[in-house]
Amino acid sequence: MRKKFVSVILCAAMAAIMTTGCVTKGNDVYPSEDIEVIVPKSAGGGTDISTRGLLTYMEKNMEGAKFNVTNNADGGGITGMAATANAEADGYTLGAVTVELDMFCFQGKSDLTYDEFDAIAMPIAAPAALIVQADAPYNSIDEFVAYCQENPEAIQVGNSGSGAIWDIATYLFEQEYGVSVTHVPYPNGTADIAAALTGGHIDATLADPSSFMTQIEAGSLKCLGVMASERTNLLPDVPTFMEEGHGLVVRAWAALVAPKGMPEEELQTLREAAKAALESEECKEYFQAQGIEPVAYIGDDAYQIMKEDYEMYRQVFETIDFSE
Amino acid sequence: MANKMGQPGRALGLSTMASLFGGIFSAICLMIFAPQLAKVALTFSKAEYFALALFGISIITSVSSGSIIKGLMGGALGLFIGTIGIDGMTGKMRFTFDSTYLLGGISFIPILIGLFAFAQVLASIESCYNETYEKKSVHIKKVLPDFSDIKRVFVTLFRSSFIGTFIGCIPGTGGDISSFICYDQAKKWSKNKDNFGNGEPEGIVACEAGNNAVSGGAMIPMLTLGIPGDGATAILLGALMVQGIAPGPLLFTNQPVQVYTIFLGLLFANIVMGIFGFSLIKLFSKVINVPKEILIPIIFVMTFVGTYSYNHSMTDVYVMVFFGILGYFMNKTQFSMSAIILGIILGGTAEQNFSGSLIMSNGSFSIFFTRPISAVFIIISLLSLLSPLYSPLLKKIMKKKAA
Repeated sequence: MRKKFVSVILCAAMAAIMTTGCVTKGNDVYPSEDIEVIVPKSAGGGTDISTRGLLTYMEKNMEGAKFNVTNNADGGGITGMAATANAEADGYTLGAVTVELDMFCFQGKSDLTYDEFDAIAMPIAAPAALIVQADAPYNSIDEFVAYCQENPEAIQVGNSGSGAIWDIATYLFEQEYGVSVTHVPYPNGTADIAAALTGGHIDATLADPSSFMTQIEAGSLKCLGVMASERTNLLPDVPTFMEEGHGLVVRAWAALVAPKGMPEEELQTLREAAKAALESEECKEYFQAQGIEPVAYIGDDAYQIMKEDYEMYRQVFETIDFSE
Repeated sequence: MANKMGQPGRALGLSTMASLFGGIFSAICLMIFAPQLAKVALTFSKAEYFALALFGISIITSVSSGSIIKGLMGGALGLFIGTIGIDGMTGKMRFTFDSTYLLGGISFIPILIGLFAFAQVLASIESCYNETYEKKSVHIKKVLPDFSDIKRVFVTLFRSSFIGTFIGCIPGTGGDISSFICYDQAKKWSKNKDNFGNGEPEGIVACEAGNNAVSGGAMIPMLTLGIPGDGATAILLGALMVQGIAPGPLLFTNQPVQVYTIFLGLLFANIVMGIFGFSLIKLFSKVINVPKEILIPIIFVMTFVGTYSYNHSMTDVYVMVFFGILGYFMNKTQFSMSAIILGIILGGTAEQNFSGSLIMSNGSFSIFFTRPISAVFIIISLLSLLSPLYSPLLKKIMKKKAA
């Protein structure tokens, strides 16, 4: 008898817990309920931190808005990005997409492309930076290239996995300058590249400079150039490859997007909130404290970058054979 | 662990003491040796990581308590599971069968929950199917471990804390690897090898001290190099940077006050953990008094909730159930779960660093033997892997000599 009583209580408690999640929809102005945001990377990474940062400051500029972030890192991010694209375009499901969106479709990993989304804002676009040991004999891009020409295949360049963005940056570098280096993959990410470069196990890397800033500031590493259209605020004294006459632009971006076809007015509300957020000083400070240099590409500007990179990677995957 | 022996109080007391000791030991190491240890960690290249991972895999022979062949089979299954997904070294897809879920590989946590928790629930349901409930009364008189026990495990405590701190300061390792290695080492050095797995005090303290000593060790590369050693320190790194503290080689000269505050904080956290642990042991041991009819359904629900909340993926839940059922039958046939887990955790690390080393050496295998740390670890792993073959022989020789 007592056993039955206990199980009845337990069932009732569970039923009560389960129903608390159900809330009825209101009919007020947008947003009238919580907005779900799907981040296709795991919690704590660059994409996650920058998306959550942007959303925190957007809430302050959007009356009644509350964003709930869910992380879905399955399939290297494909699942999460596909979930956003397939969600109902009612403005209550948004998502983050990353530069890999423009690469997966050429690697046969997914059919998803940038034109299935409406861009809201892009808070982060980290350039590839050429970083070497501080005591290395080369002090500029040209000297480094000359060294590579004299010692073919001898320079070991770290990347974050074969066919991933920093590896592609290395291929583009080789193609542009007609040199050849050894590609050494560190699939667990840039922290491992930083350790290997600082420990002298590899000679150089082309990667997001933010993971290397502590070593650069301490004087154990130096940065020779960045693959961006403008100099980065992280390293204002370092020239871009553009300035040297080589149009290499490789950037790891993440953008907040909505599934295509959401009402224009609501999209505008989101874009304005994102603009106000990214232009505020406290938001900039938050990003900088995390070692991220914030950018503020809103709406069509962000969409343009997603499109440009799509075209660039189409060419990259047509001309470079990654299978060797 | 020791509840099979009917001494939960002794086991909990010992494990709390070991955690406390491991944590404080590593915090003190952090204070004294941080910059020096960081330099050692930096000398680890891909060859050393491979050798270390190989060493970890080689201890399969001693964690598989029953048949060594079954242990190796389990290890091979684990290694295979580790190959599923996109290979980070080549960017190629392996065993993905066009499934998006498999592209990222099978997550480790669902397998762990399935093999250990779900399988155990199935086994418990079976064992208490016809059993009637009897109230067990566990009374714990004292929570602090005996002096004789402390004396017995003292050497193990030191050894495990030292190994844990060292493993912690190598980026990419963590508490689970450290626990396994410390347990293995304690077993190797122990006089009562056969009693391991049945609540041997040295086995308990080895895991706990080794696991907790990682915390201080992992902070060494994070604070001195700005390179996080594991997931927890990666989050800590972000949190410190938000506060305006920039970990890196300059931290110790630029912000000494903050650095030593962090050290004291870690020390204090460990002491508080000890106080809470010891004072709540009597409460925790009441878990044994909870009747199985209530405990098992709760654990059963928790396996699902826990798996889902890890990555918000329903597929993870199916994977967990699959491995739970697999684990149930593997338990019945005396396969070792730990061997599978070791294979999964370390297989990927070993493979990536093996092929990476060969890229760096232009395909020459000499890289593994010309680098001293790597060579030493490879030799130890071979000794460890082959120990079931030669240790009976050694014993015979020793006996003869003694006679």
